[in-house]
Amino acid sequence: MQRLVNIVGLVLVLALLSTGIAAAASLGMSSGGLSAGSAVVAGCTSSSLTTTRNVDNSGNVTQVNVLSVPQACAGETLAVTLENNLNASLGSASTTVGACTGGCAVGITGFGTVSAATVNAYAISLTQ
Amino acid sequence: MRRLRLTPLRLAALILVAAFASTGVAYAASLGLSTAKLHAWSQTLAKGTCSLTSTAADDTYVQQANPNSALGGTDTSLTVGGAAGAQDYAFIRFDLGSCNLPTTGGADSALLSLTVTSKSNDTISLYPVYAGWSSSTLTWNGLGLLTVGPTATTSFVPSSPGLVNITVTADVDAAIKAGTLWGWELRDTSGTATSAVGSVENNAAGKRPSLAVNYEK
Repeated sequence: MQRLVNIVGLVLVLALLSTGIAAAASLGMSSGGLSAGSAVVAGCTSSSLTTTRNVDNSGNVTQVNVLSVPQACAGETLAVTLENNLNASLGSASTTVGACTGGCAVGITGFGTVSAATVNAYAISLTQ
Repeated sequence: MRRLRLTPLRLAALILVAAFASTGVAYAASLGLSTAKLHAWSQTLAKGTCSLTSTAADDTYVQQANPNSALGGTDTSLTVGGAAGAQDYAFIRFDLGSCNLPTTGGADSALLSLTVTSKSNDTISLYPVYAGWSSSTLTWNGLGLLTVGPTATTSFVPSSPGLVNITVTADVDAAIKAGTLWGWELRDTSGTATSAVGSVENNAAGKRPSLAVNYEK
């Protein structure tokens, strides 16, 4: 019986340890920044919302627009990173989603001087 | 069932369990994230080019001196003049339909190519047009029904005959998102001379307007 208790205790240690590490790993993230692809989905939306951008006449990005952001996301932080074809960051900016009726089109500015021609992907996140 | 006693060994095991669990949870917390508060995704863009020639274009010019005349039919040049009381405005637009761009797409760059057929040293400014028009009906007196942007997007000086390339990226990008490109009004904004550019009816294909778009979608 004593041996059984010890074995159960050992299993419990490993299970709890795994839970903690798994919680970190399941986010698909590292402390250095967002990884590519999707992470665990929960919160105000589970959709991959469509993103567009505006340019000036020189072809530089002036604003990124995330379309149809649910009203439930009001107050959350919406962050966008412009990436090149190697998924390297060309510029990042964020804003707080405001209150709106229905789906919000949220505009984000402040990416610096980034040529739209060099942008091959957007990495977007919503956090509280 | 035997009662479980808290021996020193079991106490040590319990502390070990708590320590390991705390380490894992703390690691998750150190990322500043929790599964209940995060939604992250990415969107990859497709790049392409679209070249529009005169077959996808419409153009005309209107004359203050002939305020009820629609002049876009067969003239091989579009005149732009700045003389008071006798101004000429030219209009050029392209159908983006063949580019098959969604309204969520955009222009990375856009270049309007015109050929100067009659030169001047005046500045020709391009104002974006935001409403429908047709070369077969547009007249000087009809301009009041047309919605034209208050600010010129760009300008050029037709100082010598030949090809001029004009960057119109912002207007084409906005038009892609709006769904239709209604083109530009070309206006002399610096003098009283008259100049001209080749129209879609020009006999030489190389002198007709064209538009090259590098896009994303």
